[in-house]
Amino acid sequence: MKSWHSLAGKTIWVTGGAGYLGSAITTALDAEAGKVICFDLAGRAESFVREQKLQRTVPLTFDVSDSSAVPGLVEATIAEHGAPDGLVHLAFASSAGKRLEQLATADFQRTLDLTLAPAFVLCRAVAERMRPRGCGSIVLFSSMYGVVAPDPRIYQDPMVPNPIDYGAAKAAILQMSRYFSIHYGPAGVRFNCVTPGPFPNPGIQKTQPGFIADLSKKTALNRVGGNAEIVGPTLFLLGDGASFVTGHSLVVDGGWTAW
Amino acid sequence: MQPDAPSFSLTGKVVVQCGGSGLLGRALVTSTAAAGATLIVASRDRAKIEAQIASAASPERKIHAEHVDIGDEASIQALRDRVLAAHGRIDGVVFNAVSRPMRTMNDDLSAWKDSMATNATGFFAVVRALGDAMAQGAGGSIVNIGSMQGMIGMNPWLYEGTTMTAPPDYFFHKGGMLNLTRYLASHYGPKKVRVNVVSPGGIFNPEKPQATAFLERYAKTTMLGRMADAAEISGAVVFLLSDASTYITGANLPVDGGYTAK
Repeated sequence: MKSWHSLAGKTIWVTGGAGYLGSAITTALDAEAGKVICFDLAGRAESFVREQKLQRTVPLTFDVSDSSAVPGLVEATIAEHGAPDGLVHLAFASSAGKRLEQLATADFQRTLDLTLAPAFVLCRAVAERMRPRGCGSIVLFSSMYGVVAPDPRIYQDPMVPNPIDYGAAKAAILQMSRYFSIHYGPAGVRFNCVTPGPFPNPGIQKTQPGFIADLSKKTALNRVGGNAEIVGPTLFLLGDGASFVTGHSLVVDGGWTAW
Repeated sequence: MQPDAPSFSLTGKVVVQCGGSGLLGRALVTSTAAAGATLIVASRDRAKIEAQIASAASPERKIHAEHVDIGDEASIQALRDRVLAAHGRIDGVVFNAVSRPMRTMNDDLSAWKDSMATNATGFFAVVRALGDAMAQGAGGSIVNIGSMQGMIGMNPWLYEGTTMTAPPDYFFHKGGMLNLTRYLASHYGPKKVRVNVVSPGGIFNPEKPQATAFLERYAKTTMLGRMADAAEISGAVVFLLSDASTYITGANLPVDGGYTAK
Protein backbone atom coordinates (compact mmCIF):
# COMPACT_ATOMS: atom_id res chain seq x y z
CA MET A 1 0.00 0.00 0.00
CA LYS A 2 1.27 3.46 -0.89
CA SER A 3 1.68 5.77 2.09
CA TRP A 4 -0.72 8.71 2.32
CA HIS A 5 1.93 11.25 1.41
CA SER A 6 3.48 9.30 -1.47
CA LEU A 7 4.27 11.12 -4.70
CA ALA A 8 5.64 7.98 -6.33
CA GLY A 9 5.20 7.98 -10.08
CA LYS A 10 3.93 11.55 -10.20
CA THR A 11 5.28 14.32 -12.41
CA ILE A 12 5.84 17.57 -10.54
CA TRP A 13 6.94 20.91 -11.93
CA VAL A 14 8.79 23.44 -9.77
CA THR A 15 9.38 27.00 -10.99
CA GLY A 16 12.22 28.79 -9.24
CA GLY A 17 13.33 25.25 -8.45
CA ALA A 18 17.01 26.11 -8.06
CA GLY A 19 16.63 29.00 -5.58
CA TYR A 20 17.09 28.81 -1.80
CA LEU A 21 13.64 27.38 -1.02
CA GLY A 22 13.17 25.77 -4.44
CA SER A 23 16.39 23.77 -4.31
CA ALA A 24 15.31 22.01 -1.11
CA ILE A 25 11.91 21.21 -2.64
CA THR A 26 13.37 20.01 -5.94
CA THR A 27 15.91 17.79 -4.20
CA ALA A 28 13.25 16.17 -2.02
CA LEU A 29 10.96 15.66 -5.02
CA ASP A 30 13.81 14.10 -6.97
CA ALA A 31 13.88 11.38 -4.32
CA GLU A 32 10.09 11.01 -3.97
CA ALA A 33 8.38 11.75 -7.28
CA GLY A 34 8.47 9.97 -10.63
CA LYS A 35 9.73 12.95 -12.60
CA VAL A 36 10.55 16.54 -11.69
CA ILE A 37 10.79 19.50 -14.06
CA CYS A 38 12.95 22.19 -12.48
CA PHE A 39 12.36 25.59 -14.09
CA ASP A 40 14.70 28.47 -13.35
CA LEU A 41 16.63 31.26 -15.03
CA ALA A 42 18.80 30.31 -18.00
CA GLY A 43 21.67 28.06 -16.89
CA ARG A 44 20.66 28.06 -13.23
CA ALA A 45 18.48 24.95 -13.30
CA GLU A 46 21.04 23.03 -15.40
CA SER A 47 23.96 23.68 -13.09
CA PHE A 48 21.85 22.94 -10.01
CA VAL A 49 20.69 19.57 -11.38
CA ARG A 50 24.24 18.71 -12.45
CA GLU A 51 25.89 19.72 -9.18
CA GLN A 52 23.34 17.93 -7.02
CA LYS A 53 23.48 14.89 -9.32
CA LEU A 54 19.69 14.75 -9.43
CA GLN A 55 18.45 11.59 -11.12
CA ARG A 56 14.85 12.26 -12.06
CA THR A 57 14.92 16.01 -12.57
CA VAL A 58 14.88 17.74 -15.94
CA PRO A 59 16.20 21.34 -15.91
CA LEU A 60 14.39 23.88 -18.10
CA THR A 61 14.55 27.64 -18.52
CA PHE A 62 11.65 29.77 -17.30
CA ASP A 63 11.74 33.49 -17.93
CA VAL A 64 9.08 35.49 -16.08
CA SER A 65 9.73 38.60 -18.15
CA ASP A 66 7.71 37.29 -21.09
CA SER A 67 4.27 36.07 -20.05
CA SER A 68 3.21 35.62 -23.65
CA ALA A 69 5.76 32.79 -23.98
CA VAL A 70 4.37 30.86 -20.99
CA PRO A 71 1.52 28.96 -22.73
CA GLY A 72 3.95 27.78 -25.43
CA LEU A 73 6.41 26.64 -22.78
CA VAL A 74 3.67 24.72 -20.97
CA GLU A 75 2.57 22.99 -24.19
CA ALA A 76 6.13 22.15 -25.26
CA THR A 77 6.94 20.75 -21.82
CA ILE A 78 3.77 18.62 -21.75
CA ALA A 79 4.50 17.36 -25.28
CA GLU A 80 7.90 16.13 -24.18
CA HIS A 81 7.32 15.10 -20.55
CA GLY A 82 3.58 14.58 -20.16
CA ALA A 83 1.06 16.60 -18.16
CA PRO A 84 2.04 17.39 -14.57
CA ASP A 85 0.26 15.96 -11.53
CA GLY A 86 1.51 18.87 -9.47
CA LEU A 87 2.95 22.35 -9.90
CA VAL A 88 4.91 24.36 -7.34
CA HIS A 89 5.16 27.98 -8.46
CA LEU A 90 7.97 29.67 -6.58
CA ALA A 91 9.49 31.87 -9.28
CA PHE A 92 9.17 35.49 -8.22
CA ALA A 93 10.90 38.50 -9.71
CA SER A 94 12.79 40.48 -7.13
CA SER A 95 11.47 43.87 -6.21
CA ALA A 96 13.43 47.02 -6.93
CA GLY A 97 14.15 47.01 -3.20
CA LYS A 98 13.76 50.75 -2.84
CA ARG A 99 12.43 52.74 0.09
CA LEU A 100 8.77 53.61 -0.18
CA GLU A 101 9.56 57.29 -0.76
CA GLN A 102 11.93 56.46 -3.62
CA LEU A 103 9.85 53.81 -5.31
CA ALA A 104 8.84 55.02 -8.78
CA THR A 105 5.51 54.06 -10.32
CA ALA A 106 7.48 52.18 -12.96
CA ASP A 107 9.30 50.17 -10.25
CA PHE A 108 6.01 49.18 -8.67
CA GLN A 109 4.51 48.29 -12.03
CA ARG A 110 7.55 46.21 -12.96
CA THR A 111 7.22 44.02 -9.88
CA LEU A 112 3.53 43.41 -10.53
CA ASP A 113 4.17 42.67 -14.22
CA LEU A 114 6.93 40.19 -13.48
CA THR A 115 5.09 38.35 -10.71
CA LEU A 116 1.33 38.39 -11.16
CA ALA A 117 0.96 38.01 -14.92
CA PRO A 118 3.32 35.00 -15.17
CA ALA A 119 1.67 33.33 -12.15
CA PHE A 120 -1.78 33.83 -13.64
CA VAL A 121 -0.88 32.66 -17.13
CA LEU A 122 1.13 29.66 -15.90
CA CYS A 123 -1.47 28.46 -13.38
CA ARG A 124 -4.32 28.81 -15.83
CA ALA A 125 -2.45 26.98 -18.60
CA VAL A 126 -1.45 24.12 -16.28
CA ALA A 127 -4.86 23.86 -14.60
CA GLU A 128 -6.56 23.69 -18.01
CA ARG A 129 -4.37 20.70 -18.86
CA MET A 130 -5.15 19.10 -15.47
CA ARG A 131 -8.90 19.63 -15.90
CA PRO A 132 -9.52 16.79 -18.38
CA ARG A 133 -7.63 14.40 -16.10
CA GLY A 134 -9.89 15.36 -13.16
CA CYS A 135 -7.07 15.86 -10.68
CA GLY A 136 -4.03 17.94 -9.89
CA SER A 137 -2.50 20.04 -7.14
CA ILE A 138 -1.03 23.50 -7.59
CA VAL A 139 0.97 25.13 -4.82
CA LEU A 140 1.66 28.86 -4.99
CA PHE A 141 4.01 30.77 -2.71
CA SER A 142 2.88 33.85 -0.82
CA SER A 143 4.70 35.37 2.17
CA MET A 144 4.03 36.54 5.72
CA TYR A 145 4.53 39.99 4.15
CA GLY A 146 1.51 39.31 1.99
CA VAL A 147 -0.44 38.92 5.25
CA VAL A 148 1.15 41.36 7.71
CA ALA A 149 3.29 44.47 7.17
CA PRO A 150 7.01 44.41 7.96
CA ASP A 151 8.07 45.97 11.25
CA PRO A 152 10.40 48.84 10.18
CA ARG A 153 12.20 48.70 13.55
CA ILE A 154 14.02 45.51 12.64
CA TYR A 155 15.35 46.93 9.37
CA GLN A 156 18.26 49.12 10.43
CA ASP A 157 19.98 51.49 8.08
CA PRO A 158 21.19 50.82 5.38
CA MET A 159 18.67 47.96 5.18
CA VAL A 160 15.42 48.82 3.45
CA PRO A 161 12.24 47.40 5.01
CA ASN A 162 10.75 44.66 2.93
CA PRO A 163 9.24 46.73 0.07
CA ILE A 164 5.59 47.48 -0.54
CA ASP A 165 5.58 46.16 -4.11
CA TYR A 166 6.78 42.78 -2.81
CA GLY A 167 4.07 42.59 -0.14
CA ALA A 168 1.31 43.75 -2.46
CA ALA A 169 2.29 41.14 -5.06
CA LYS A 170 2.46 38.37 -2.44
CA ALA A 171 -0.98 39.34 -1.11
CA ALA A 172 -2.28 39.17 -4.68
CA ILE A 173 -0.83 35.68 -5.12
CA LEU A 174 -2.75 34.57 -2.04
CA GLN A 175 -6.02 35.85 -3.42
CA MET A 176 -5.26 34.45 -6.87
CA SER A 177 -4.82 31.04 -5.25
CA ARG A 178 -8.23 31.28 -3.56
CA TYR A 179 -9.91 32.44 -6.76
CA PHE A 180 -8.37 29.61 -8.75
CA SER A 181 -9.38 27.08 -6.09
CA ILE A 182 -13.04 28.03 -6.53
CA HIS A 183 -12.85 28.02 -10.28
CA TYR A 184 -11.08 24.68 -10.66
CA GLY A 185 -12.42 22.88 -7.54
CA PRO A 186 -15.26 21.13 -9.41
CA ALA A 187 -12.66 19.84 -11.89
CA GLY A 188 -10.73 18.20 -9.02
CA VAL A 189 -7.79 20.59 -9.27
CA ARG A 190 -6.70 21.88 -5.86
CA PHE A 191 -4.96 25.23 -5.31
CA ASN A 192 -3.21 26.20 -2.09
CA CYS A 193 -0.58 28.68 -0.95
CA VAL A 194 2.42 28.10 1.24
CA THR A 195 2.94 31.30 3.20
CA PRO A 196 6.48 31.30 4.59
CA GLY A 197 7.71 33.38 7.50
CA PRO A 198 11.38 34.35 7.86
CA PHE A 199 13.59 32.13 5.71
CA PRO A 200 16.67 34.33 5.14
CA ASN A 201 19.17 32.80 2.74
CA PRO A 202 22.54 31.54 4.01
CA GLY A 203 24.31 34.73 2.87
CA ILE A 204 22.13 36.91 5.11
CA GLN A 205 22.34 34.38 7.93
CA LYS A 206 26.14 34.61 7.80
CA THR A 207 26.59 38.35 7.40
CA GLN A 208 23.73 39.82 9.44
CA PRO A 209 23.54 38.14 12.86
CA GLY A 210 21.78 41.13 14.42
CA PHE A 211 19.02 41.01 11.84
CA ILE A 212 18.65 37.25 12.29
CA ALA A 213 18.28 37.78 16.06
CA ASP A 214 15.61 40.44 15.44
CA LEU A 215 13.72 38.18 13.05
CA SER A 216 13.91 35.31 15.53
CA LYS A 217 12.37 37.40 18.31
CA LYS A 218 9.26 37.94 16.22
CA THR A 219 8.48 34.21 16.07
CA ALA A 220 7.05 31.96 18.76
CA LEU A 221 9.82 29.43 18.13
CA ASN A 222 12.48 32.15 18.56
CA ARG A 223 14.39 31.22 15.43
CA VAL A 224 14.33 31.66 11.67
CA GLY A 225 13.35 28.80 9.36
CA GLY A 226 15.73 26.70 7.30
CA ASN A 227 14.88 25.65 3.74
CA ALA A 228 14.44 22.00 4.78
CA GLU A 229 11.41 23.16 6.76
CA ILE A 230 9.50 24.38 3.70
CA VAL A 231 9.71 20.95 2.06
CA GLY A 232 7.23 19.05 4.26
CA PRO A 233 4.42 21.63 3.92
CA THR A 234 4.88 21.75 0.12
CA LEU A 235 4.92 17.97 -0.30
CA PHE A 236 1.92 17.64 2.01
CA LEU A 237 -0.15 19.99 -0.18
CA LEU A 238 0.99 18.25 -3.37
CA GLY A 239 0.03 14.79 -2.17
CA ASP A 240 -3.16 12.86 -1.59
CA GLY A 241 -2.86 13.37 2.17
CA ALA A 242 -4.27 16.81 1.45
CA SER A 243 -7.04 15.62 -0.89
CA PHE A 244 -9.67 17.74 0.92
CA VAL A 245 -7.47 20.81 1.40
CA THR A 246 -8.02 23.56 -1.14
CA GLY A 247 -8.10 27.36 -1.16
CA HIS A 248 -5.90 27.43 1.93
CA SER A 249 -2.92 29.50 2.98
CA LEU A 250 -0.62 27.16 4.92
CA VAL A 251 1.42 29.44 7.13
CA VAL A 252 4.96 28.20 7.82
CA ASP A 253 6.26 31.03 9.94
CA GLY A 254 7.30 29.71 13.36
CA GLY A 255 4.28 31.58 14.75
CA TRP A 256 5.17 35.05 13.33
CA THR A 257 1.56 35.86 12.39
CA ALA A 258 -0.07 34.05 15.34
CA TRP A 259 0.58 36.77 17.93
CA MET B 1 24.44 20.35 0.87
CA GLN B 2 20.73 19.84 0.41
CA PRO B 3 18.50 18.77 3.28
CA ASP B 4 17.13 15.28 3.55
CA ALA B 5 13.60 14.64 2.38
CA PRO B 6 11.11 15.48 5.13
CA SER B 7 9.88 12.72 7.32
CA PHE B 8 6.14 12.28 7.64
CA SER B 9 6.87 9.23 9.78
CA LEU B 10 5.91 9.13 13.46
CA THR B 11 8.15 6.16 14.22
CA GLY B 12 9.67 6.49 17.68
CA LYS B 13 7.17 9.13 18.78
CA VAL B 14 4.79 8.72 21.72
CA VAL B 15 1.45 10.35 20.96
CA VAL B 16 -1.49 10.80 23.34
CA GLN B 17 -4.91 11.18 21.71
CA CYS B 18 -7.91 12.29 23.77
CA GLY B 19 -11.18 11.12 22.27
CA GLY B 20 -10.92 8.17 19.94
CA SER B 21 -14.24 6.39 19.63
CA GLY B 22 -16.16 8.67 17.27
CA LEU B 23 -16.11 8.68 13.48
CA LEU B 24 -13.13 11.03 13.26
CA GLY B 25 -11.40 9.69 16.38
CA ARG B 26 -11.27 6.17 14.97
CA ALA B 27 -9.82 7.41 11.67
CA LEU B 28 -7.17 9.37 13.57
CA VAL B 29 -6.24 6.32 15.66
CA THR B 30 -5.74 4.27 12.51
CA SER B 31 -3.62 6.84 10.68
CA THR B 32 -1.46 7.91 13.62
CA ALA B 33 -0.68 4.29 14.49
CA ALA B 34 -0.08 3.45 10.82
CA ALA B 35 2.42 6.33 10.64
CA GLY B 36 4.46 4.48 13.26
CA ALA B 37 3.62 6.23 16.54
CA THR B 38 3.20 4.54 19.87
CA LEU B 39 -0.34 5.75 20.42
CA ILE B 40 -2.11 6.13 23.74
CA VAL B 41 -5.83 6.63 23.27
CA ALA B 42 -7.31 8.20 26.39
CA SER B 43 -11.02 8.06 26.93
CA ARG B 44 -13.64 8.11 29.66
CA ASP B 45 -14.72 4.68 28.40
CA ARG B 46 -11.53 2.66 28.32
CA ALA B 47 -13.31 -0.64 27.63
CA LYS B 48 -14.83 0.76 24.46
CA ILE B 49 -11.39 1.81 23.21
CA GLU B 50 -9.96 -1.60 24.20
CA ALA B 51 -12.58 -3.36 22.10
CA GLN B 52 -11.98 -1.01 19.19
CA ILE B 53 -8.21 -1.58 19.32
CA ALA B 54 -8.70 -5.36 19.49
CA SER B 55 -10.78 -5.37 16.33
CA ALA B 56 -8.24 -3.20 14.50
CA ALA B 57 -5.17 -4.90 15.94
CA SER B 58 -2.13 -5.63 13.86
CA PRO B 59 1.22 -6.64 15.32
CA GLU B 60 3.17 -3.62 14.09
CA ARG B 61 0.69 -1.07 15.44
CA LYS B 62 1.36 0.04 18.99
CA ILE B 63 -1.94 1.26 20.41
CA HIS B 64 -2.78 1.43 24.11
CA ALA B 65 -6.04 2.38 25.79
CA GLU B 66 -6.00 4.53 28.92
CA HIS B 67 -8.73 5.93 31.11
CA VAL B 68 -9.12 9.66 31.62
CA ASP B 69 -11.87 11.92 32.90
CA ILE B 70 -11.01 15.27 31.40
CA GLY B 71 -13.48 16.97 33.70
CA ASP B 72 -11.08 16.07 36.53
CA GLU B 73 -7.59 17.57 36.59
CA ALA B 74 -6.24 14.87 38.92
CA SER B 75 -7.33 12.23 36.42
CA ILE B 76 -5.48 14.10 33.62
CA GLN B 77 -2.33 14.37 35.73
CA ALA B 78 -2.55 10.67 36.56
CA LEU B 79 -2.82 9.88 32.83
CA ARG B 80 0.26 12.00 32.15
CA ASP B 81 2.19 10.22 34.91
CA ARG B 82 1.20 6.74 33.69
CA VAL B 83 2.24 7.57 30.11
CA LEU B 84 5.59 8.98 31.25
CA ALA B 85 6.18 5.96 33.50
CA ALA B 86 5.35 3.47 30.75
CA HIS B 87 6.89 5.21 27.73
CA GLY B 88 9.35 7.71 29.20
CA ARG B 89 8.24 10.64 27.07
CA ILE B 90 5.44 12.38 25.23
CA ASP B 91 6.11 13.75 21.72
CA GLY B 92 2.63 14.54 20.51
CA VAL B 93 -0.91 15.26 21.66
CA VAL B 94 -4.11 15.11 19.61
CA PHE B 95 -7.00 16.77 21.39
CA ASN B 96 -10.11 15.28 19.78
CA ALA B 97 -12.36 14.93 22.83
CA VAL B 98 -15.64 16.74 22.55
CA SER B 99 -18.89 16.86 24.45
CA ARG B 100 -22.04 17.80 22.54
CA PRO B 101 -25.03 17.83 24.88
CA MET B 102 -26.51 21.00 23.40
CA ARG B 103 -28.67 21.09 20.27
CA THR B 104 -30.36 24.46 19.88
CA MET B 105 -30.43 28.06 21.09
CA ASN B 106 -33.32 27.25 23.42
CA ASP B 107 -31.72 24.40 25.37
CA ASP B 108 -31.40 24.68 29.12
CA LEU B 109 -28.24 26.42 30.33
CA SER B 110 -27.26 23.23 32.11
CA ALA B 111 -26.38 21.80 28.68
CA TRP B 112 -24.09 24.78 28.03
CA LYS B 113 -22.38 24.34 31.41
CA ASP B 114 -22.02 20.64 30.78
CA SER B 115 -20.14 21.03 27.50
CA MET B 116 -17.97 23.81 28.92
CA ALA B 117 -16.57 21.32 31.42
CA THR B 118 -15.11 19.21 28.62
CA ASN B 119 -14.66 21.50 25.63
CA ALA B 120 -13.26 24.53 27.45
CA THR B 121 -12.03 23.68 30.96
CA GLY B 122 -11.10 20.09 30.14
CA PHE B 123 -9.39 21.12 26.91
CA PHE B 124 -7.25 23.67 28.73
CA ALA B 125 -6.41 21.26 31.54
CA VAL B 126 -5.25 18.59 29.07
CA VAL B 127 -3.08 20.83 26.89
CA ARG B 128 -1.52 22.45 29.96
CA ALA B 129 -0.68 19.18 31.69
CA LEU B 130 0.64 17.43 28.58
CA GLY B 131 2.15 20.61 27.11
CA ASP B 132 4.14 21.17 30.32
CA ALA B 133 5.35 17.57 30.20
CA MET B 134 6.60 18.02 26.61
CA ALA B 135 8.14 21.42 27.46
CA GLN B 136 10.10 19.78 30.28
CA GLY B 137 11.18 17.07 27.87
CA ALA B 138 12.49 17.42 24.33
CA GLY B 139 9.52 19.40 22.98
CA GLY B 140 6.72 18.09 20.80
CA SER B 141 3.60 18.90 18.85
CA ILE B 142 0.02 19.51 19.97
CA VAL B 143 -2.71 19.18 17.35
CA ASN B 144 -6.11 20.45 18.44
CA ILE B 145 -9.11 19.27 16.47
CA GLY B 146 -11.19 22.36 15.84
CA SER B 147 -13.87 22.88 13.25
CA MET B 148 -14.67 25.29 10.46
CA GLN B 149 -17.53 26.17 12.83
CA GLY B 150 -14.85 27.81 14.95
CA MET B 151 -13.98 30.05 11.99
CA ILE B 152 -17.31 31.12 10.49
CA GLY B 153 -20.91 31.59 11.54
CA MET B 154 -23.85 29.24 11.23
CA ASN B 155 -25.67 28.76 7.92
CA PRO B 156 -29.30 27.88 8.76
CA TRP B 157 -30.10 27.22 5.10
CA LEU B 158 -28.11 23.98 5.30
CA TYR B 159 -30.40 22.52 7.94
CA GLU B 160 -33.81 23.59 6.63
CA GLY B 161 -36.35 20.79 6.49
CA THR B 162 -34.14 18.37 8.46
CA THR B 163 -33.89 17.50 12.15
CA MET B 164 -30.25 18.61 12.13
CA THR B 165 -29.14 21.61 14.18
CA ALA B 166 -26.02 23.70 14.69
CA PRO B 167 -25.44 23.92 18.46
CA PRO B 168 -24.29 27.42 19.55
CA ASP B 169 -21.86 26.20 22.22
CA TYR B 170 -19.82 24.36 19.58
CA PHE B 171 -19.10 27.61 17.70
CA PHE B 172 -17.96 29.18 20.97
CA HIS B 173 -15.70 26.29 21.95
CA LYS B 174 -14.04 25.82 18.57
CA GLY B 175 -13.55 29.56 18.09
CA GLY B 176 -11.96 29.72 21.53
CA MET B 177 -9.79 26.72 20.78
CA LEU B 178 -8.44 28.49 17.70
CA ASN B 179 -7.22 31.53 19.57
CA LEU B 180 -6.07 29.66 22.66
CA THR B 181 -3.93 27.63 20.26
CA ARG B 182 -2.16 30.83 19.23
CA TYR B 183 -1.62 31.72 22.89
CA LEU B 184 -0.21 28.28 23.59
CA ALA B 185 2.05 28.50 20.52
CA SER B 186 3.61 31.68 21.96
CA HIS B 187 3.83 30.23 25.45
CA TYR B 188 5.42 26.94 24.49
CA GLY B 189 7.39 28.02 21.37
CA PRO B 190 10.69 28.65 23.17
CA LYS B 191 10.41 25.17 24.72
CA LYS B 192 10.08 23.61 21.26
CA VAL B 193 6.47 22.62 21.66
CA ARG B 194 4.45 23.47 18.55
CA VAL B 195 0.68 24.00 18.83
CA ASN B 196 -1.67 24.03 15.83
CA VAL B 197 -5.33 23.49 14.95
CA VAL B 198 -6.81 21.28 12.26
CA SER B 199 -10.28 22.59 11.35
CA PRO B 200 -12.33 19.97 9.55
CA GLY B 201 -15.37 20.78 7.50
CA GLY B 202 -18.42 18.52 7.62
CA ILE B 203 -17.57 14.82 7.66
CA PHE B 204 -19.80 12.30 5.90
CA ASN B 205 -21.05 9.57 8.21
CA PRO B 206 -21.33 6.33 6.24
CA GLU B 207 -22.85 4.48 9.21
CA LYS B 208 -25.57 7.03 9.83
CA PRO B 209 -25.75 9.26 6.76
CA GLN B 210 -26.83 12.87 7.14
CA ALA B 211 -30.22 13.91 5.70
CA THR B 212 -30.25 13.86 1.91
CA ALA B 213 -31.46 17.45 1.68
CA PHE B 214 -28.56 18.52 3.87
CA LEU B 215 -26.01 16.51 1.87
CA GLU B 216 -27.17 18.02 -1.40
CA ARG B 217 -27.05 21.57 -0.08
CA TYR B 218 -23.77 21.09 1.77
CA ALA B 219 -22.03 19.68 -1.31
CA LYS B 220 -22.73 22.95 -3.12
CA THR B 221 -21.00 24.98 -0.42
CA THR B 222 -17.61 23.30 -0.82
CA MET B 223 -15.32 23.73 -3.79
CA LEU B 224 -14.84 20.00 -4.10
CA GLY B 225 -18.58 19.38 -4.14
CA ARG B 226 -18.80 16.89 -1.26
CA MET B 227 -18.35 16.29 2.47
CA ALA B 228 -15.02 14.97 3.76
CA ASP B 229 -14.25 11.35 4.45
CA ALA B 230 -12.99 10.98 8.02
CA ALA B 231 -9.72 9.54 6.69
CA GLU B 232 -9.08 12.76 4.78
CA ILE B 233 -8.65 14.70 8.02
CA SER B 234 -5.91 12.40 9.24
CA GLY B 235 -3.27 13.41 6.68
CA ALA B 236 -3.24 16.94 8.08
CA VAL B 237 -3.00 15.65 11.67
CA VAL B 238 -0.12 13.25 10.95
CA PHE B 239 1.66 16.03 9.03
CA LEU B 240 1.41 18.45 11.96
CA LEU B 241 2.55 15.78 14.44
CA SER B 242 5.54 14.90 12.26
CA ASP B 243 8.94 16.48 11.70
CA ALA B 244 7.76 17.53 8.23
CA SER B 245 6.17 20.59 9.88
CA THR B 246 8.88 21.78 12.30
CA TYR B 247 8.43 25.48 11.43
CA ILE B 248 4.63 25.49 11.65
CA THR B 249 3.16 26.72 14.93
CA GLY B 250 0.14 28.80 15.91
CA ALA B 251 -1.42 27.89 12.57
CA ASN B 252 -4.88 26.80 11.57
CA LEU B 253 -5.13 24.15 8.87
CA PRO B 254 -8.70 23.84 7.55
CA VAL B 255 -9.56 20.55 5.86
CA ASP B 256 -12.87 21.68 4.50
CA GLY B 257 -12.76 21.28 0.75
CA GLY B 258 -12.49 25.05 0.44
CA TYR B 259 -15.67 25.86 2.40
CA THR B 260 -14.04 28.73 4.31
CA ALA B 261 -11.91 30.00 1.41
CA LYS B 262 -14.83 31.33 -0.56
